[in-house]
Amino acid sequence: MIDELRQLEREALEAIRAAENPDELERVRVRYVGRREGLVSGLLRRLGTLDAAERPAAGAAANRAKKALAAALEERLGELAAADGGGGPDPDLTLPPRRKWRGTVHPVSQVIDDIWAIFRSLGFTRARGPEVDNEWYNFVALNTPLDHPAADEQDTLYLSPGLLLRSHTSPVQIRTMEVHQPPIRILAPGMVYRRDTYDATHTPAFAQIEGLVVDEGVTFVDFKATLAEFARRFWGPGTQVRFRPSFFPFTEPSAEVDVKRVIVREDGREEGTDWIEIMGAGMVDPAVLENVGYDSERYTGWAFGMGPARVALLRHGVRDLRLFYENDMRFLGQFA
Amino acid sequence: MKVSFRWLCDVAPGIELTPEEAMARLALRGAPVEEAEDLSAGLEDVVIGRVLEARPHPNADRLTLCRVEGAEGEVPVVCGAPDVREGAFYPFAPVGAVLPGGFRIGKRKIRGEYSQGMLCSESELSLGEDHAGIMLLDGEYEVGAAFAEAIGLKDWRFDVEVTPNRGDLLSHVGIARELHPEGHAGIVLPDFPGGDGTAAAAALVTGVVRGSAESRSAGARIAIEDPDLCQRYLGAVIRGVSVGPSPRWLAKRLRAAGARPINNVVDATNYVMLELGQPLHAFDLDRLQDATIVVGRARPGESLVTLDGETRPVTPEMLMIRDAHRPVAIAGVMGGRDSEVSGGTADILLECALFEPKQVRATRRALGMSTDASYRFERGVDPAAMETAVRRAAALILATAGGRLDGEIIDTCPEPWEAPRVTLRPSRVAHLLGVDFTAGEIAGLLAPLGYTLAGRVGDALEFLVPGHRSQDTLREVDLIEEVARTHGYDAFPQELSPFRPGTVPDHPLFQLEDRLRALLVADGISEAQTPALGPASDGDVELLNPMSAEESRLRRDRLPGLLRHVERNMARGVRDVRLFELGTAFAPVPDAAPAESARVAAVLTGRRAPLQWSAGGEPFDVYDIARVLELVGAEAFPGARLEVWEGGDGLPQGVAALFAPGRAYVLRAAEGGVVGWGGEVAAGAVDVPPWAGAVVGGEVLLPDLPAPKPAVTASELPGHPASQRDVAFLLPAGTRAGDVLRSCRAGGGPLLEGVEAFDLYVGDDLPPGARSLAVRLRFRARGRTLTDREVDKACRRVLRKVKEVTGVEPRS
Repeated sequence: MIDELRQLEREALEAIRAAENPDELERVRVRYVGRREGLVSGLLRRLGTLDAAERPAAGAAANRAKKALAAALEERLGELAAADGGGGPDPDLTLPPRRKWRGTVHPVSQVIDDIWAIFRSLGFTRARGPEVDNEWYNFVALNTPLDHPAADEQDTLYLSPGLLLRSHTSPVQIRTMEVHQPPIRILAPGMVYRRDTYDATHTPAFAQIEGLVVDEGVTFVDFKATLAEFARRFWGPGTQVRFRPSFFPFTEPSAEVDVKRVIVREDGREEGTDWIEIMGAGMVDPAVLENVGYDSERYTGWAFGMGPARVALLRHGVRDLRLFYENDMRFLGQFA
Repeated sequence: MKVSFRWLCDVAPGIELTPEEAMARLALRGAPVEEAEDLSAGLEDVVIGRVLEARPHPNADRLTLCRVEGAEGEVPVVCGAPDVREGAFYPFAPVGAVLPGGFRIGKRKIRGEYSQGMLCSESELSLGEDHAGIMLLDGEYEVGAAFAEAIGLKDWRFDVEVTPNRGDLLSHVGIARELHPEGHAGIVLPDFPGGDGTAAAAALVTGVVRGSAESRSAGARIAIEDPDLCQRYLGAVIRGVSVGPSPRWLAKRLRAAGARPINNVVDATNYVMLELGQPLHAFDLDRLQDATIVVGRARPGESLVTLDGETRPVTPEMLMIRDAHRPVAIAGVMGGRDSEVSGGTADILLECALFEPKQVRATRRALGMSTDASYRFERGVDPAAMETAVRRAAALILATAGGRLDGEIIDTCPEPWEAPRVTLRPSRVAHLLGVDFTAGEIAGLLAPLGYTLAGRVGDALEFLVPGHRSQDTLREVDLIEEVARTHGYDAFPQELSPFRPGTVPDHPLFQLEDRLRALLVADGISEAQTPALGPASDGDVELLNPMSAEESRLRRDRLPGLLRHVERNMARGVRDVRLFELGTAFAPVPDAAPAESARVAAVLTGRRAPLQWSAGGEPFDVYDIARVLELVGAEAFPGARLEVWEGGDGLPQGVAALFAPGRAYVLRAAEGGVVGWGGEVAAGAVDVPPWAGAVVGGEVLLPDLPAPKPAVTASELPGHPASQRDVAFLLPAGTRAGDVLRSCRAGGGPLLEGVEAFDLYVGDDLPPGARSLAVRLRFRARGRTLTDREVDKACRRVLRKVKEVTGVEPRS
């Protein structure tokens, strides 16, 4: 009887698949599983005639077959309804959309991406270097003698004497120039480390972006023009840019770059913000060029370093830098 | 550097700027003011009051009843001080005034007498610690005038950010140079109040006895043993001083600049240091054995108790100031306690020396200390201002502490200072700055800073560097910076020029990271950033100077750090967590820098889709992390494959503890190496609440230099239909679905186009432990439609292969 059942099931499945419309499908249903005349139903009624030993197995098989056929019928009905453009209950489009999770790029990465997009259009490529580096690359080659107070400015994390976690991305300048010849036009995003404890504006590990340009005929005018162009593209065309004298051992002249953004208030009026410090920069010190074997009489250049986390802080009105590193889903989810 | 705005104006008469203008100018000169404090803030209501009459309070012994004339006529005032002087001027707070600290003066009745105001003490006005008596004002004042302005208290304290190259800005004179329109030439040091006495004036003109290795005067001897470490030592002997509190003007000046008054001798040295930047020290001459100063290295085994009371062992690497027998000060860092000026001091020896910056830096670092003096010596003091400094300090001591200058100024100077010469080519200025300046313009821009044009060599200009810049402007480029700074950075044009493309290719690892970030975000996962620093359990590369045990190692893998952030989210009640991270992992390498490897790690837990009316409430499980590993693997290591980890080798040490055997994967690159792992995180490896579902996570190592992603070669779309057969395999307990699927592919021959597992069924109608796996086999031939016979034949071949390899048969 089980063989008979299998035979019937196969037949029924084929018939279901072959049904071209709901009416035809209904006829198939009645023929096989209809309560009175259905062939499978008929077979089931014969269960009682079987030996007690055979009955459980046959009963289980019959039930399974009924279930399989019911599922096949439903599936085919769905297919036909879909093909027909209806059949089921009317859709209720006021229900919320069928949603998936939305992933987000970290707000600091978004800033880095946006900065990169601008510099890419200005002819830059990206370079990288190790996060663990030595004093030559982190200090000495960058014209920062270890016995000069400038080496104190960044409290450095050491692994062993001479070996350290880079305190800025500037070692990538040296590593890149050692391997490549001018023209150099690079951007180097990366993590840097300092001996700072966590507070609202400091974390011991944070992202930095280095920029370096070296070629013949590169001047202070190019330096100012390119960075001002970047600032206007990043913060908007009305952005004012200010260059203030400063000191970094590896640039001379050195500058802090400030921007004053234009924001549109709720009542539609435009308003300038305060000056905001966005990067340290300057003309590459000739000593740095000499340290990598470049002819500093022939080549000149400029460089900058900026903190994308700080930019993200300002961009999103975040008060505490630590929020960026807590990785709370409710925080990250806002940056879709 | 904290400076008083009034003091700045006093050393450079001609600064006609408001405090706000001065701050703006300093910002554009490279010395921004970080904080400005109005020192008279809170004293707006206090006026000059004159006591017309003072008599004892009729009902109290210690109180005085006064009649005080203020801004609004005469009022009765009850005063707590017994010695109020009639006719004298005092700071007066009338009724309604609010004092610093918020105390409001009201009309009160004290022991039966009305009091309408208060005569104030220094401490009530936050001007000093003296609260013993009310503040008697010397001299004549206009009654009712604003008190702060009348006594010259109207002042601002600027906290100026000074970069490490600008030691010259660590003084009022230095900062005033940046503010005065004529710069250096605008500096005129003022006379001291009360400094016109002949004794004080004599200090400014007295003679000098000079020697190269040693010199003597007034019974004192100064010798230099290490001329490399001390280029010059000036001394002055003053006898018969009366050590005591400084006059009010001096104390006020020091406080305005953020210094604490100590006594008239020490305050005089501090005053001159703040004025000129030259650190000075006063020794009690009686405590110097044989009245001798020897500048030389510490002897082995010596130690010294410094002014702060610390006993400091010193080494022969350190330069000392010694008397005939022992060290009495650490050169350029701190004096010794035994020879410090105290109340009983009568004779002093004033030190004004020039120490080698690197020596001072090395010493103070070795001793783990930093002082106002060492800070200035490290950054370089003005060698040309030393004699002025010692004379002014001596004059100030004589004016405030009395006594007389004995003998001449003692000058031991192995190597007299000469102004360095720097050559500057106008062509190089244009080359670097992009703007042409004439020789005359350049000289004109540098002159206010104190650089003098000494001559020309061809087209080049030769400048003499002033003493105050002789530390940091010794190269041509240094002077070019000064040209740019004086010209004004904002005065340079901003014209974009054409540029040549660089020679550095865009690093392929950045490109791979960009692609992975996009893939994972599209999969619904959010990017996290976690620190590379972790506790000892999480890394093998140790920091030498960690901030805490929790941040003492560099992480060996990134996934454990990400798991901590799953825990943190759950602790805040966030159940659905999907995070990935791109970061670096560190492995120790003997005698070398650790090996760094770029990683991507991901974790998933909670619902697979947001809670909603249709399905989506199922939790993430291990197959989800398999998808992530497959996605990343395909991008980072084309040809990589997932294998089940059954325990044992394969997973790196440390990682294995995260997973249970049989519940994790290993990602193998085509060459066979393990490049990633992932699975269901074992219960012990992540600390989550009981309500949390499974946490699945994985990590993939990224190649250091990924091969560029090859361009896709598109396949032609098939022109003929496929035929498909659905087969249900009954998998007995212990049979692995992967083996069945692999056998399907192996047995399918060229016509088999695809194998998809589309259902997995487990039910009571199946044998215990068995599963039914439904597989759709898709067959297609190029260029023709397959016949049913061909398809059936191919299908049978598949079934044969499956049976042969795995013993599994289709369900009938």
